[in-house]
Amino acid sequence: MRRLLPADDTVSPPLSRERWRDRGYHEAWERALTLGPQTVIEWVTAAGLTGRGGAAFPTGQKWASVAQSADPVKYVVMNADESELGTFKDRALLTRDPWGALAGLAIAAFAVGAHEAYVYLRGEYADVERLLEEALALAPWAEAGSYPLAVRLIRGAGAYIAGEETALLNSIEGRRPEPRVKPPFPTARGLWGHPTVIQNVETLANVAVLLAHDVAWFRAVGTEAAPGTKLMAVSGHVARPGVYEIPMGLPLWTLLTAPEYAGGIGGSGRLRAVLLGGAAGTFLTADECRAARLDNLALQPFGASLGSGAVMVFDDTVEIRQVVRQVAGFFAEESCGQCVPCRIGTRRLLEQLSASTLDIERLRDLGGAMRDASICGLGQTAPQALLSYLDRPSLWPRTSKEEECHA
Amino acid sequence: MKESNPASIQSLLADLPKERASLLPALWRVFEADGVLTREALAAVGEALDVPAAEVYGVASFYALFHVEAQERAPVRVCTDVVCSLFGAQELLNALRGRREKPVYAATCLGRCDAPPAALVGRQALAPASLEGVDAVLKGVQP
Ligand SMILES: Cc1cc2nc3c(=O)[nH]c(=O)nc-3n(C[C@H](O)[C@H](O)[C@H](O)COP(=O)(O)O)c2cc1C
Ligand code: SF4
Ligand code: FES
Repeated sequence: MRRLLPADDTVSPPLSRERWRDRGYHEAWERALTLGPQTVIEWVTAAGLTGRGGAAFPTGQKWASVAQSADPVKYVVMNADESELGTFKDRALLTRDPWGALAGLAIAAFAVGAHEAYVYLRGEYADVERLLEEALALAPWAEAGSYPLAVRLIRGAGAYIAGEETALLNSIEGRRPEPRVKPPFPTARGLWGHPTVIQNVETLANVAVLLAHDVAWFRAVGTEAAPGTKLMAVSGHVARPGVYEIPMGLPLWTLLTAPEYAGGIGGSGRLRAVLLGGAAGTFLTADECRAARLDNLALQPFGASLGSGAVMVFDDTVEIRQVVRQVAGFFAEESCGQCVPCRIGTRRLLEQLSASTLDIERLRDLGGAMRDASICGLGQTAPQALLSYLDRPSLWPRTSKEEECHA
Repeated sequence: MKESNPASIQSLLADLPKERASLLPALWRVFEADGVLTREALAAVGEALDVPAAEVYGVASFYALFHVEAQERAPVRVCTDVVCSLFGAQELLNALRGRREKPVYAATCLGRCDAPPAALVGRQALAPASLEGVDAVLKGVQP
């Protein structure tokens, strides 16, 4: 299912004007200018588009709230920080079709009435940066329409937390990328205190293909609650790791094994578990992987969500407890340290997971406290993968199963 | 490699607006010129943009890609995160550490888990990375 990723037989070079036209972005931009801001926002809302960066918040709702603000200064920001563990779909998308997300950014700016836009790109993506610089120099949206728009590219410098929307705003402003307390949300007070729309790369690319077609076309794929497609980054023990575009609701097993997707379990060939959604994701057992469908509603019974679209696959030689410890190490390393439950909690989790036996009761308490008392999503979701592991004894080390139960 | 001095930093940053929002781009410029952000350089950046030196340091030291100590044109980082560690990342890191005098850093996920293990040499990404690949990039970098 290809919408955001161009078909394999696409011949126009990614950054050419032909590509801008071939993909329908010229038409999408012209259509947006003709429809007017109000109608564009109605389309985005009616399409049921939700954020693809992890939180799945309704996109149209954000735009409406910024558009109706009386503040004459507004901003839009493309979040291309992509630092979530196991996530590389925005890199693939920007490399294979750079115009899509940029067309979406221009449409977003027009819809909410912003004349300045920012693209915040992870500093480790120098290859993508070259493409984006070239794209911004060409700026095909500046020719077709009369809407004045300045787009600036900001290069991050290696900080996972800078992808959190309010930390990202601080980073652009030249401050330490520490999250702000919400509310106020960026839609009310964002960059330099002005209403700001922040969207993930993939969300904006969806806006562009939506405006290149129409609402009915957009909703024809996916589920009622989650229309459209989703980019999934599949890595680890599969035959063909990579980024695949799926209709929302596709069985996870199809993504893992179908020849047009990841093509089967790799490594030993026997699946142990999948970590779905990134470091703040959920472990699914092999049986669950055969039953799960890839949309947030269908994943609820598993306590899981699509998150960033990361699918990390582990064969039966992998000790999942070791992965849990690494994930805890990731969070201990990346916590900004601003609030106590997260700063101390991420360290404690790592310490406890480094011990030979796990005190499950204590781990659950600690995880609960972090979830309830941390300022931002990092601390709130840091225990998620661990808790999902504790809930699935079949993933525990065979030898220590007894021990852990009684510890 | 020669480090910038306050005067050269002033000219390096001359076209940036004198405001706090120029801080991250300014730090990148100095870091790419020097391979390090020294205290003196940070003070000069602060001077140029009218931001207190302590705050410049606070921002610079937050980011993993900036080095405020060892100077190096192209620092080597190997991703030892969840996926890469299944595909020989630790072995690559150890091998590089055994051969190099300069530090080799372990990194969290570099966003290239589709071709593990991933590494960065300076700003150039290698995926999959190998000893030979890292050597080849380092050879191309001016000392
Ligand atoms: C710790 C943390 C890191 C995040 N990193 C990213 C990121 O790299 N890219 C991204 O699009 N969203 C990231 N987010 C989510 C953003 O805060 C925000 O929800 C998103 O950019 C909104 O765009 P969307 O609605 O289009 O998904 C992160 C959130 C948290 C808590
Ligand atoms: S929860 Fe963690 S990352 Fe988020 S603000 Fe608090 S300390 Fe920083
Ligand atoms: S885990 Fe190494 S690049 Fe993602």
